[in-house]
Amino acid sequence: MPEPVVLRGRPVVRGRAEGAALVADATLSFWGEVDPVSGTVIGKGHPLEGRSLAGRVLVIRSTRGSSATPMVLNLAKLEGTAPAAFINVEVDSLAALGAIVNRIPMITELERNPFECIRTGDYVVVDAEAGLVEIRPATP
Amino acid sequence: MELTADQRAILEGARGPYPAGCMRWLVEWGEVMGARRLIRCDNTHVLLPVPNLVARGASPGTVEAFCEGLKQACRHPVAPHCVATVHTLFVTLDEIEAPENDPRQVRVQREIAELAARAGYLPTFTCAPYLVGNVPLKGEICAWTESSAVVYANSILGARTTRHGNESAIAASLLGLVPEFGVLLEENRRGDLRVRVSAELRHPADWGALGYFAGRLAGLGIPVFEGVRRPSQEEAKQLCAALATSGGVTMCHIAGVTPEAPSPEAAFGGRPPADCVEFTPQALRETYASLRDARGDEIDAVILGCPHASLREIAQAARRLEGRRVAGGVRLWINAARATRCAAEAMGAAQIIEAAGGRILCDTCPTNMRIPCRRLVTDGFKQAHYARAMTGAEVIVADTESCLRAALAGRFQGDA
Repeated sequence: MPEPVVLRGRPVVRGRAEGAALVADATLSFWGEVDPVSGTVIGKGHPLEGRSLAGRVLVIRSTRGSSATPMVLNLAKLEGTAPAAFINVEVDSLAALGAIVNRIPMITELERNPFECIRTGDYVVVDAEAGLVEIRPATP
Repeated sequence: MELTADQRAILEGARGPYPAGCMRWLVEWGEVMGARRLIRCDNTHVLLPVPNLVARGASPGTVEAFCEGLKQACRHPVAPHCVATVHTLFVTLDEIEAPENDPRQVRVQREIAELAARAGYLPTFTCAPYLVGNVPLKGEICAWTESSAVVYANSILGARTTRHGNESAIAASLLGLVPEFGVLLEENRRGDLRVRVSAELRHPADWGALGYFAGRLAGLGIPVFEGVRRPSQEEAKQLCAALATSGGVTMCHIAGVTPEAPSPEAAFGGRPPADCVEFTPQALRETYASLRDARGDEIDAVILGCPHASLREIAQAARRLEGRRVAGGVRLWINAARATRCAAEAMGAAQIIEAAGGRILCDTCPTNMRIPCRRLVTDGFKQAHYARAMTGAEVIVADTESCLRAALAGRFQGDA
């Protein structure tokens, strides 16, 4: 069993959450590319198409596009399908607002490239109070 | 963030719990985004839509809770110095025969619209507020939702707004304040991606293609376009909408054209990047091809007016459709703000479009309403991008003339 890895990052929206990671070196628009009812990515051709965000630690470059991002996150939160936490490379103001309003922890500027050290399925503990991310690699 | 005594008092509840909550959103958001203070905001464009999720399996409690939030917002007046317009809805307030226009949803939406009007929001229900009188001046601090309108306000008008969501735009309307970060500050309005355009841009859809191409490369950055002529209002609308669809773009510059880009050097704040991408005739063709996944040419929907159509676009469509009939089995939607349709009715253009079998859809658009179709043609890259995901339709993006020809023929006949 591989050892857990702990990385430092900059907390954006404070809080603690954990869950299985869902990773894509891509941007994602919550409006139009995420169905808040099922929590799945519906964007055609998106690397995460068909995957559920519910309860996952979402590791993406940033959100993109629509100003409805906070609204979709709000609806997903009410439906229980929102991601547990965000690890983003760039902080998009709309994702930040959505995370603030819906109390979803967000962390950025990890000391290592998250796409190289977190894989989908790894168990990730996001401590956006201390600015720490613990990665427990999934057994291959 | 440093707050004034008044701002701190609101945060601590001097005006009641809801304004305190609004202040908390703005302050927390500002702190996250690196703002040092709140500044006065005179112009907002807010989202107040009832979600159309119950039909798609959401629990009624979710929609109820969300609508309760909107109603609560609308029980508080807009700051007296602030003009506040309203974004599109997920229903039309007209009576139409589409089953997607759920009467229960319409009823709740009307309630919210009435509360909003009493609070001082102007019921524009449009994604293009700049077409119906909300035209901020250069330097005006705004808080706009609708990513395409944000790009238009910053780039074409020289107004200043970050990309807002519903909570922040409502908070800005109520308090007349926004956190000062991003493109509200002069130093963050400089270009960082150089796009030389060697393709000829013939019509609004070509400008949409340019935006869709550049948005993907720009991400959250600020592209500067070189080598293009002055766009029409409709062309600028397509450029801005597509930039905010494929990218998270907040603004762009068109060198020699837009207010803050008298020259390429000015657009880059004197530091033009060495690298340059080129939008070639081939890139133009490939960008169209990237949003054409139809496996046949028979179509059942044509959607124009994404973002909402201007009066000129409606008048042009009416001239093209006069005395003709939209093919059986094809729905022609032209989306527009109600104010624009009223003007089109006064000039007779709306009646011509309806006599031809088309419909001017107000307050919303078919994709927002989730009206299903199998294969659609549209002149909006934004519409094509989202319709593909949200309605599962096959899409063909093409210029307006090709769209109208397809509507009349019942099949896409290639580019005009």
